Amino acid sequence: MSDEEKDEMVGYRQQPGKISFSRPGSGGKNSFSEPRDEKMIPESQGGMKKQPWGNHRHDNLITGRVVGKPTSLVDSNWKVTGRAKYGDDIRLPNELIGKIVRSPYHYARILSIDLSDALNLPGVVSIATGDDAKNKFGVLPVTKDEHAMAVDRVRHIGDLIACVAAEDEATALEAVRLINIEYEILDSIHDMKDGLKDSEVPIHDRGEYHIGEANIQKRVFQEFGHIKSMKKNAVASHKKNWFFNGVNHAATEPHAVVADWDPSGRLTLYTPQQVPHYVHRALADVLEIPMHQINVHRTFVGGGFGGKSDPFPHEMCASILARKSGRPVRITFDREEVYWINRGRHPSHIEMNLHADEEGRLCGIETDALIDGGAFASFGHVTTYYNGVLHTAPYEIGAFHYTGARVWTNKPASGAMRGHGAVNSRCAVEVGIDDISEQLQVDPISFRLANLLPPHSATITGFRVTSIGMRECLERVMKESGWKDKFRKMPLGHGIGIGCGFFISGSGLPIHWDPNKFPHATVHLKIDMDGGVTVHTGAADIGQGSDTVVAQSVAEVLGLPLDMIRIKSRETDTSPVDLGSYSSRVTFMNANAAISAAMEIRNDLLDATSEITKAPIEKLVIGDRRIFRKDDPAIGVSYLEALHKAQEDRGALVASGAYRTPPMGRAHKGAAAGLAPAYSFSAYVAEVKVDVETGQTKVEKVWAAHDCGKALNPLAVKGQIIGSCHMGMGQVLSEEMRYGRTGNLMNTDLLDYKIPSVHEMPHVTPIIVESNDPEGPFGAKEAGEGPLLPILPAVCNAVYDAIGVRMNELPITPDRLYKNIERKCRDLKIDDPADLPSPRLKHSELQDILEKRAGEHSIRDKERRLSSEIEPYHNGALFGMDPTIPPDEVDESWEVTVIPSEEYLENPRLAGSAWVHTERRKREGLK
Amino acid sequence: MKMPPFKLHTPSSVEEAIQIAKNLQSKKEDFDWISGGTDLIPNYKWHLNPKKNVISLANISQLTELTETTIGAMVRLQDLAESDFTHPVLAKSANSIASIMIRRSGTVGGNICLDTRCYWYNQTEDWRETIDWCHKCDCGTGADCRVIPNQNTLCVATYQADLAPVLMCMEAKVHLISTSGKREMDLVDFFELDGMKKNKLLPGELLTHITIPEEISSWSGDYQKLRQRESWDFPEAGVAALWKKRGEKLEKLRIATTGLESIPGYHEDLAMEFVKNWSGEESIKQLSEKIRKAVKPVANTWYTPSYRRKMVKVLTKRACKELMSE
Repeated sequence: MSDEEKDEMVGYRQQPGKISFSRPGSGGKNSFSEPRDEKMIPESQGGMKKQPWGNHRHDNLITGRVVGKPTSLVDSNWKVTGRAKYGDDIRLPNELIGKIVRSPYHYARILSIDLSDALNLPGVVSIATGDDAKNKFGVLPVTKDEHAMAVDRVRHIGDLIACVAAEDEATALEAVRLINIEYEILDSIHDMKDGLKDSEVPIHDRGEYHIGEANIQKRVFQEFGHIKSMKKNAVASHKKNWFFNGVNHAATEPHAVVADWDPSGRLTLYTPQQVPHYVHRALADVLEIPMHQINVHRTFVGGGFGGKSDPFPHEMCASILARKSGRPVRITFDREEVYWINRGRHPSHIEMNLHADEEGRLCGIETDALIDGGAFASFGHVTTYYNGVLHTAPYEIGAFHYTGARVWTNKPASGAMRGHGAVNSRCAVEVGIDDISEQLQVDPISFRLANLLPPHSATITGFRVTSIGMRECLERVMKESGWKDKFRKMPLGHGIGIGCGFFISGSGLPIHWDPNKFPHATVHLKIDMDGGVTVHTGAADIGQGSDTVVAQSVAEVLGLPLDMIRIKSRETDTSPVDLGSYSSRVTFMNANAAISAAMEIRNDLLDATSEITKAPIEKLVIGDRRIFRKDDPAIGVSYLEALHKAQEDRGALVASGAYRTPPMGRAHKGAAAGLAPAYSFSAYVAEVKVDVETGQTKVEKVWAAHDCGKALNPLAVKGQIIGSCHMGMGQVLSEEMRYGRTGNLMNTDLLDYKIPSVHEMPHVTPIIVESNDPEGPFGAKEAGEGPLLPILPAVCNAVYDAIGVRMNELPITPDRLYKNIERKCRDLKIDDPADLPSPRLKHSELQDILEKRAGEHSIRDKERRLSSEIEPYHNGALFGMDPTIPPDEVDESWEVTVIPSEEYLENPRLAGSAWVHTERRKREGLK
Repeated sequence: MKMPPFKLHTPSSVEEAIQIAKNLQSKKEDFDWISGGTDLIPNYKWHLNPKKNVISLANISQLTELTETTIGAMVRLQDLAESDFTHPVLAKSANSIASIMIRRSGTVGGNICLDTRCYWYNQTEDWRETIDWCHKCDCGTGADCRVIPNQNTLCVATYQADLAPVLMCMEAKVHLISTSGKREMDLVDFFELDGMKKNKLLPGELLTHITIPEEISSWSGDYQKLRQRESWDFPEAGVAALWKKRGEKLEKLRIATTGLESIPGYHEDLAMEFVKNWSGEESIKQLSEKIRKAVKPVANTWYTPSYRRKMVKVLTKRACKELMSE
């Protein structure tokens, strides 16, 4: 492309048809080819790009085209011009409008449903109830507990009972009102603590696996490490009982779906889904038709954040109504219905205990997490594990004791939300470290730097951690925030705080195990004589930019401009199976699959070039739309020439690439939960201003460092970091699903569900740390969820630094904080909160010890990340164990226990008390 | 979210508007006035007491007058906030309302006559069905109040508008018109202590404009507002203070509050008690404590009543900050 042409490309204001496109090249003297950007080519390949974190297996695929350059998303023009079709934008001819009849009661048995009045209403075409689809579904195969519409019972206000399809919305709404339902009201449960007790009519019946007669959906007990000595060795301990209110994803787009049965008898479901594949499976189960008769068409997704990752009952409803009526049916939610389907972050009671020994090591973490699942299982099985296992890193710890339980209550179901299961307990850990550091009189950043796991190590539960940029994240935010001049040094009302994060980059095991050796992600490529590359992927672009990252990966390997790549990711009919956009797996797995598919095509092109130029393949490199001899760039062919040669006798080039995680982890029960092929790390510093007279907290600045391995698209990574700050700030300061005294959700609208406005948004400085993950595509790891974690504790710790008050309930709304300020004033016998003392820090001797250790570890870590032969390093080495063997294999005082002892059950913690119950099958066994 | 259908009337003069209202009344048809619609339309979408007829005031240019002493009911809130005629304290309160987009649509008259708000009332129809409705929108069921069950004949929904307290301190008058004629009254007397009735407007009567005494331009003051976010949110509490000084001496002081009860509160008597022996900081302390005691919020908004009361004290103190040094 000439400079002139380039100048014309000024973005979306370009009229369609006037955008100057890249040309594939015409062969011979190629005026379109740009020289290779040597600054983007790694040193290992003779380029100028420095590699402080070592080489990568994808180095030889770098053509310097697009990877690592800030790139606007490939679908952005569609969005900014209003041409993108979201769920409710799908308009099929002859459509009907569907509306859902929902429960007005928390918990009730349905005695009868009278449809006659509604059916007689002119304009009503079909009505369905629970009888029309009795098969259960659910996102996890182990906990399928949902129906399309209530069978026998409704379990929360807003639970689905029936649905109506009519000629227009007004008629459908009228029909909803005309359906008469008789109920028998049952005693409902709202406090999650009550869920731990036996109940007369448990919300679900798990048959022989039912735990007691209680409402416990899942319980976890885990002990790792030197449990017996952790308290004995502790010189400082932290204990805090937290309550985290539930929060909702509050995506801009409410759920919407269109179902259409075509004349050949196949179903197409248009839905803004994060996980089309699971809907695909669930539809087949519920509708009792084979999967090959269903096409799930993912529309543009107006924000997901985990809120569109379950297969949903309304998707079933639309399909059932469309089948009954023979016409397309569209259902669009009101905002209120979004809160009723929920799947937001679990309301949680978390008890956090940390212990540190005299050397300033974390000799123990004890966590107890009771989480409120609402009425259905959703992802809850996994969430229960995640609340524990996802805080076993980045710190090396002496012991880890975790008890977790998830209970059913008569509320909208909780589920997966950005930072799934990790956010609340991470906040509790990081606040605990702040407190422990204060007790030890050391700087909390120094404490962290002296306790980090090194690269290529195993956590206490046996997670394989590869690249770690945690140290760099901490060092960068410390420097850029001016931490040393501010921490514990600012006047009352001004504070600064640190928080860290650790998150999975894809889950090691797919949710569905069968067929069990399937890849997690598959990408197909097709290139015909026009030179454009068609990419088929099932990765669901939910706004995070997965289409762009897949296009970038292919473009990079083939040396093509981005506009020559066309992504087809919408329909299950054409795209290979992909497990969906959750657990931050998409960039890692799909880009890896895309790279391996592109490598096949690359080989074809190199073969063809070699044949034309007679140059040996090893001497060839791929540049911009041109393949040439590295030592004599004049010898080469255009991309199109090579392509046409490769196409001789076979036509279009096609290739398939796949990614599957390597075998990992240990064998104990629950060992798979939290396993990931890589982990992301982050550290944020927040600076806040607290008004001591009103309790209002304003976050003024955030320095946010995130280790994403390699920023394939730095623009998108920064966007994710800033967006995460916004979302996390909502949870820490203002957002909550507030239940009133009658158990009703009081704020089912965006005026009373308080998402921070632009006025609340601080200045965020995103800092990208690139630790070059060996397994990641070009070194990349996730950047979509992990960045949310640290903002919560960073703000909590900053509030403490500002006014000396530690909160134990989120969000820190002014009224809650003010209550704590009053309490503090009473305790200190101070009348005016303006006289409160600001926390100050005088270092103890331990500070020097920690700084020295951190210095040594820093050298250790650098050596480990660059070394080609790395010795194993298991958590426990810091406590004097042999790093090369898991401590429990050589020392029996290091435990791996997943069943509580009799002794524990005599005095269990809150969630731990779930283990007091016996499963039905074991009770009956005793009889 | 679908609004129930209604017939829209679009008169182009006040006279025509009140005539339409009268005709509807004589046919026993109900109606609402609509000005900016930022309050009414969301309520209609939630089926909160929707009417079969809506009379729009949008085309009536008579109602948009804006001078130092007269503010037409149809003056947009943003225009009020930006106008050179507007007293700085009134401008501050106008500028704090909702967001700029809402201020560009919402009007002065609409803000003064804002419907009272309550957690158990400002909800969708489906939601309200789950609590068996409430006093204020009972759908003919005679439902009880959900905030204070079993003891309330009056509705305790909260008045959460920002202009009224400032205008009260200005001793503004509201001017009303109906086919029976014109009348005016002090804004202080305009409100009715019942979240359903809200104010003294009779059926078919229209608020045309507000007048402010000329001398107010020499008064100083402040408006302080409590809310979760700096945009969108209704006041959880608001305190207006206006005072007049002769030389350095405080001569008059007026305080009014909003967001705390079903009507805005006017506390001139409380304030004037202190004026004679004004002692700066200590007077402010005592006065703000008295204001705190004078208001009785209930649990029907975002913050707890106890917090809102405590904050009234802080807001009063802050609103009077300039009087600290006396």
